[in-house]
Amino acid sequence: MAGMISKPKQHETVWLWLYKLLSGVVIVVLLSVHFVVNHLVAPGGLLTYADILRYYSNPIVPVMEIAFLVFAVTHSFVGMRSIFLDLNPSPRLIRFVDWALVFLGGGAIVYGTWLVLLIASGG
Amino acid sequence: MKNAPSPAHWLRWFDPRYRQPGTWGYILNRITAIGLTIYLVLHLGVLSTLAKGPGAYDSFITLVKSPGFMLGELLVVAGGIIHGTNGIRIVLNSFGVGVRDQKVILAILMALSIIGIAYFAYVMFLVD
Repeated sequence: MAGMISKPKQHETVWLWLYKLLSGVVIVVLLSVHFVVNHLVAPGGLLTYADILRYYSNPIVPVMEIAFLVFAVTHSFVGMRSIFLDLNPSPRLIRFVDWALVFLGGGAIVYGTWLVLLIASGG
Repeated sequence: MKNAPSPAHWLRWFDPRYRQPGTWGYILNRITAIGLTIYLVLHLGVLSTLAKGPGAYDSFITLVKSPGFMLGELLVVAGGIIHGTNGIRIVLNSFGVGVRDQKVILAILMALSIIGIAYFAYVMFLVD
């Protein structure tokens, strides 16, 4: 059934569609690494504030966490836009939602990055 | 289409009736997507306790170690696994891989997802 194959929607550029797919793959990889590192390499998990600070003192950790934050937020918000487009909204409503998603998504990334850098610099 | 969605009838979008069985994979992906997005926002929100110091964060962790929160966490894990495995199928299909066998692939991936979710449930509730 050809209708099941994912393809760009009306009002969704091919680049945005491709980004959604590829960022999804990146997230699967980052999340797999996250589970292995947090639950196998760090025995008992990272359950206290002190554990988290120690974990973040390794410079690879904040870099990976920021990458994960950016990919997760953008994939999630581009995906929400796809779902919204399924409702056949008017171009006016699409423009409004686009601005809202950019504003909220950008805010989430700035906030998350600030939090990562705060923890990485010792709390 | 009998249950075509529109802004006024957005609930129809979740209605699996009048649809091809394969479309359930599509609906499942959308439901998990919304769930995971809600989790992402909550997750970023509660992590602000990290900025408030050890006391705030450690008491937050004690709270989420309760069975109710753990069950919610398992739901997030389940949504993530289903969305991830189904997503891999969507990417492969989009580039022309396994298009003819996509229903079988979906069934296999969902079976693997159930095994994965059961493993997480076992580790979360029986090992710790």
